[in-house]
Amino acid sequence: MQATRLIADRLINLSAIIGSVGLMAEMGIILTDVIGRAAGVPLYGSQDLVTMTMVFVVFSGMAICDRTGGHIAIDVFERFFSNRFNRAIDALSAALGAIIFLAIAWTVYESAKLSIMLNLATNLLDLPKVWFQWALCALAVMTSLGMALRAVELGFSGRDVRHDGLMR
Amino acid sequence: MSPMIIGVTGLAALFVLLMIRVPVAFAMFVVGFFGIASLNGTNAATSLLASETFTLASSPELVVIPLFILMGNVASATGMSRQLYNAAYAFVGQVRGGLASATVIGCGGFAALSGSSVASALTMGKVALGEMDRYDYDTRLSTGVVAAGGTLGILIPPSTGFVIYAILTEQSIGRLFLAGVFPGLLLLAMFVATITLLCWLRPEFGPPGPRTSIREKLRALLGAAPIVAIIVFTIGGIYGGLFSPVEAAAVGAGLVIVLGFMSRTLNVFELWQATRQSIVTTATVMLILIAAHLLNPFLALSHIPDAVGAFITGLDMSFYSILAIILLVYLALGCVLEGFAMMVLTLPIFFPIITQMGIDPIWFGVLVVLTLEMGLISPPVGLNVFIVKSVAPHVPLSTIFYGVMPFWITMLVTLAILVAFPQIALFLPNTMLD
Repeated sequence: MQATRLIADRLINLSAIIGSVGLMAEMGIILTDVIGRAAGVPLYGSQDLVTMTMVFVVFSGMAICDRTGGHIAIDVFERFFSNRFNRAIDALSAALGAIIFLAIAWTVYESAKLSIMLNLATNLLDLPKVWFQWALCALAVMTSLGMALRAVELGFSGRDVRHDGLMR
Repeated sequence: MSPMIIGVTGLAALFVLLMIRVPVAFAMFVVGFFGIASLNGTNAATSLLASETFTLASSPELVVIPLFILMGNVASATGMSRQLYNAAYAFVGQVRGGLASATVIGCGGFAALSGSSVASALTMGKVALGEMDRYDYDTRLSTGVVAAGGTLGILIPPSTGFVIYAILTEQSIGRLFLAGVFPGLLLLAMFVATITLLCWLRPEFGPPGPRTSIREKLRALLGAAPIVAIIVFTIGGIYGGLFSPVEAAAVGAGLVIVLGFMSRTLNVFELWQATRQSIVTTATVMLILIAAHLLNPFLALSHIPDAVGAFITGLDMSFYSILAIILLVYLALGCVLEGFAMMVLTLPIFFPIITQMGIDPIWFGVLVVLTLEMGLISPPVGLNVFIVKSVAPHVPLSTIFYGVMPFWITMLVTLAILVAFPQIALFLPNTMLD
């Protein structure tokens, strides 16, 4: 289990790095476009680059968001429930999250087939839309696996990794 | 089963899932997906899931969210709140309750850099609580003022609260930002008036700090000048037509990073941490938004918003009575629900009623964001109170909640003023953008 957690955390870390680089790139692209526009040479296709980078920024953060307990939950009644019940809810929520992300990956994968068939691409740079849909699928699957592992850990050992730092 | 019964069953299931601590986004996903599947078939639900997920994740308007979050996180990391606090302190610190007033003014300034109330409360708490302790401020006042002052973060633009409202209701982000300026300044002034009144009634609450010379005042003002310049350039740039809100967010984030490196208050590691934290927050917000785009069509298909709208408008009550009921619901929900989740869950039901009644959606947005702010300091889940507790662990939670009560009442009065005088919110957007 420890080895699996180590691999999962490394993948989550990698995903977070991709998202962070994406966010900085997004800022850089927009800044270049704004400065370029002021100088009369706007960056061609900046909107395409920014919107497609956004896919990475959003979905790269999902795995680390779950790993670090970033999802909002209403915990007003937590203290009224037994520890066992709370742990069961945590495990079930993690399993539910895993299913949701798997469903996202599957439905987006199916719609990617349509994008290939219709040759869908971005407006200016003509970047195939399917690349980004596949990236979204891969990141969603990674998030789903991370959540599934967390559910298993909670269910079998009671360990809640959200309180621990990432293993490196 | 009729769509209405399916809708009510779905809402009951959502309520149960939320109360047993299932994450808000997951609960909305499950109810939205199965609700649509039962009303329109599984194919409709899966198609919507695929299209909404990719559309939202690659939406050009939503790029503003991670960038403003990044700007706020970097500003927190650089300790810019310290300079803002020092400048405010140099001018008002020597009067009774002056340090508390300086904290609120600093919070207002920091709010213009960060769209987050939590970031405002956290950074200003680190700066101001120690100072107020040093001058023997009553802990109820010092902690209460930081928790309440922090809430200015989502009223004074740029505000993530307004961005989310704009996306959910298809309103202009620029108009909402403008509409938040005067109410934000009004609330700031009301907070300062509350502090002055409290310290006038109980002088031991906030003893005056030492006087500062003209030179010290000028030095403090110069220290804050670059930050003020960034705020003016970023927000002013949107209204001056220099750039869009998305570009303003990127320019603001870029300038804060450059200023941080130039003033040596930011290093590469801190920037990396701030960026990483930004993608986590972005993921939290975006997952709820994607889930909302599944839940909202389900509610529309079940005709619940229509039924609630028909019921409320059929009550034969005045415009203000209906508005008061809606705001009371928000205030009550604010005590148990996280503000952002509350907005996402309630707007699909209330917004159609608002538009049907002819209420200005921009004005309503300001009122909603203000009630959302009040939720941040309302017991038992006032998030800002817990943030202050994390900065001042030795202060009991009950003391902080006691301390925020005068400010909660001040916010209620401000809400009443904004309801009575919509022009306060609408003057700027109506004059500058029409």
